[in-house]
Amino acid sequence: MLKQIKTLTKLQLMNLYGINVYRYSKDKNAKKKSRFMALLYVAVGFMLCTYIGGTVYGYAYMGMSDIIPTYLIMLCSVFALFFSIFKAGGVIFQKNSYEILCSLPLSQTAIVISRFLRMYVENLIISCLIMIVGGAVYGVLETPDISFYLIGFLVVLFVPLVPITIATLIGALITAISSRMRHKGIVSAGLSVGLFLLIILGTADMSQMEGSISEDMIYSLLETVRQVIEGIYPPAVWMGDAMINGDYFTCILCVVVELVLYVIVILFVSANFRWINRGLHSTIARHDYQMESLKKNSVLKALYKKEMKRFFSSGVYVTNSIMGPVMSLVLSVTMLVIGIDTLQEKLGIPIDIKGFVPFVLAGILCIMVPSCVSISMEGKEWWIVKSLPIKTKDIIDSKILLSFSVILPFLMVSEVLLTIALRPSLMELVWQLAIPTIMVLFTCVFGVTVNLKFPLFTWENEVSVVKQSTSAFIGGIGGFVIVFICVIPVILAPTEYSDIIKAAICAVFVGITAFLYKKNISVSMTDL
Amino acid sequence: MLRIKGLTKQYKGSNKGVVDISLAIESGDIYAFIGHNGAGKTTTLKCVVGIHGFDKGEIYINGTSIKENPLLCKKEIAYIPDNPDLYEYMTGIQYLNFIADIFEVSAADREMRIEKYAGEFEFIDSLGDLISSYSHGMKQKLAIVSALVHNPKILILDEPFVGLDPKAAVVLKGIMKELCQAGGAIFFSTHVLDVAEKLCNKVAIIKDGTLIASGMMDDIVKQGKTLESIFMEVACDAKAD
Repeated sequence: MLKQIKTLTKLQLMNLYGINVYRYSKDKNAKKKSRFMALLYVAVGFMLCTYIGGTVYGYAYMGMSDIIPTYLIMLCSVFALFFSIFKAGGVIFQKNSYEILCSLPLSQTAIVISRFLRMYVENLIISCLIMIVGGAVYGVLETPDISFYLIGFLVVLFVPLVPITIATLIGALITAISSRMRHKGIVSAGLSVGLFLLIILGTADMSQMEGSISEDMIYSLLETVRQVIEGIYPPAVWMGDAMINGDYFTCILCVVVELVLYVIVILFVSANFRWINRGLHSTIARHDYQMESLKKNSVLKALYKKEMKRFFSSGVYVTNSIMGPVMSLVLSVTMLVIGIDTLQEKLGIPIDIKGFVPFVLAGILCIMVPSCVSISMEGKEWWIVKSLPIKTKDIIDSKILLSFSVILPFLMVSEVLLTIALRPSLMELVWQLAIPTIMVLFTCVFGVTVNLKFPLFTWENEVSVVKQSTSAFIGGIGGFVIVFICVIPVILAPTEYSDIIKAAICAVFVGITAFLYKKNISVSMTDL
Repeated sequence: MLRIKGLTKQYKGSNKGVVDISLAIESGDIYAFIGHNGAGKTTTLKCVVGIHGFDKGEIYINGTSIKENPLLCKKEIAYIPDNPDLYEYMTGIQYLNFIADIFEVSAADREMRIEKYAGEFEFIDSLGDLISSYSHGMKQKLAIVSALVHNPKILILDEPFVGLDPKAAVVLKGIMKELCQAGGAIFFSTHVLDVAEKLCNKVAIIKDGTLIASGMMDDIVKQGKTLESIFMEVACDAKAD
């Protein structure tokens, strides 16, 4: 069994982050892309380290050193939960390898453990990064006992377990429920988004509660932060306190409890593995079709319908793509319900944010647009489009149309809600409509550009395209980052120039969008 | 109908590919393309149908260069790959309708052809089911029907008999003959040498990316020999070289 776990885990980890392709591919382009992806990971890692180091230093500077270990553990847990929650189902119940592995003399438990270990390793890397950088800054500033480092070492190893356990349970539950439905993709996405909204509402509710307490009882800032973390995830406080106080007993108790929970979930999933997989991967065949009249569509409409079918067939694709739009609705409803002034006061923002609302809306809508992975999602079926007499323009248009169709309803509803909430002047209304629309259109086109540059067709699991590919990374957050950069001149410039700057931004992005679109439609599909 | 002139295609960072392939497939030809695994058959076929670009040479479909006018060329041909990876999220009929839309086939024609060919392969009742529920053979049948839905002049097939049940294989052979009798042409790769010998009037043998024999079946398969023995001879000669 141990040998099987070792072999299967090695198999799982072999191509994590494209390492195996980089090692053995003879294709120079593939290697170049792998190197680029590695550079991106390093850049993100560096940004994360800078953020951690800066925050830890800030806490220490404000005399809140005691909260630092708890904060770091909380951060590791949040990262682990969010990185695992939407991909746990896809990783643990991978279809292709399931069929191959089931035909081999392998224990079901070994297969499940190897998949859990893969998720553990992925999260451990992030936890190590957070704890090492944060711990090092804390160590230099506070010179703690050796017990801090010893307990810290144990904490790093075990901190991802509970978030993975929670994520897996939720992922398995969503997978199990959706596996019984005919439209698995839509049901799975609906459940995931519902869960996401529940978390947001829960957190909002908690911050509300914390606000009223602090007003009444005037807690110290340290106590407030501590209370918030304790309210969300108590083990972070217990383990953080253990690190500060050198409390080995509490630390080991937490580790044992985490380990036991992890093992219980593994055993639970192992026991139901075949059942869930069968439900998930089997399809209903009725064999009762009778020829009926067929309708002729234009080439573009046929491609667009295909794109829509592809989109709604995949839970992970839908979930990933509509998180941003759903967030835009949450933002608009929040503004409508509590009003922009109250929101500004609650967030403690010193400047008037009304003028930036179009950028905030655009930024949120531009997160993970479907177009940035829509070409990669063709996968092994890419030969069909390539061998058919289809203009590149039609293919690109269908991908952009899909993205725009997914975002447009959310954009329209958000616009209506924001107009009611903000009661903008005519000029404000113009920017409120123009900026998000132009930025969304730009991001849809930009997403295709990125995906044409970094296509990935040889995938086994949709998660690797939607969440881990280079184009998902660049195209998914690229739009958001660009919108964020656009806000800077609006903030820095005097108010009287605001309209001119906004007009310039719109004009520039219309130009860039047109340029990228022309570039996209001139790409030869045989080169991909 | 299909002319390949000095086709050379090399994969980046690899020695694999095809070098200086020249072939001519005329109206009425059923042309077999045989060779070892990795010899370059699929690469050649993929270049012909416009999936792969190529480094040197030319490919003409009815006199039109696929490099210069790929859309026009692709309208004349149909391709079936060795592994029928189809859109699993569509039903069979949705897939066929999609292909018919791309080729701008009229509603009446597509209905008539789908009924004819899906009827011959006996799977009309499964057309309403998702492709993900299909077996390998069913997918292969669907791929064949989708290739015929626009009444192509040239069929390019990569291992078309793999996965087909005996009855479906007979049906396919009948369709191939019918298409050629109507003035079309077929160029297909196969490892089933017996079928190639009986079905085809022309054959080409490829080894390590180079064409080592091509021409009329009767000229290549000489007295008392079979295509299999010829292929083994040629392969062994090449090995000895």
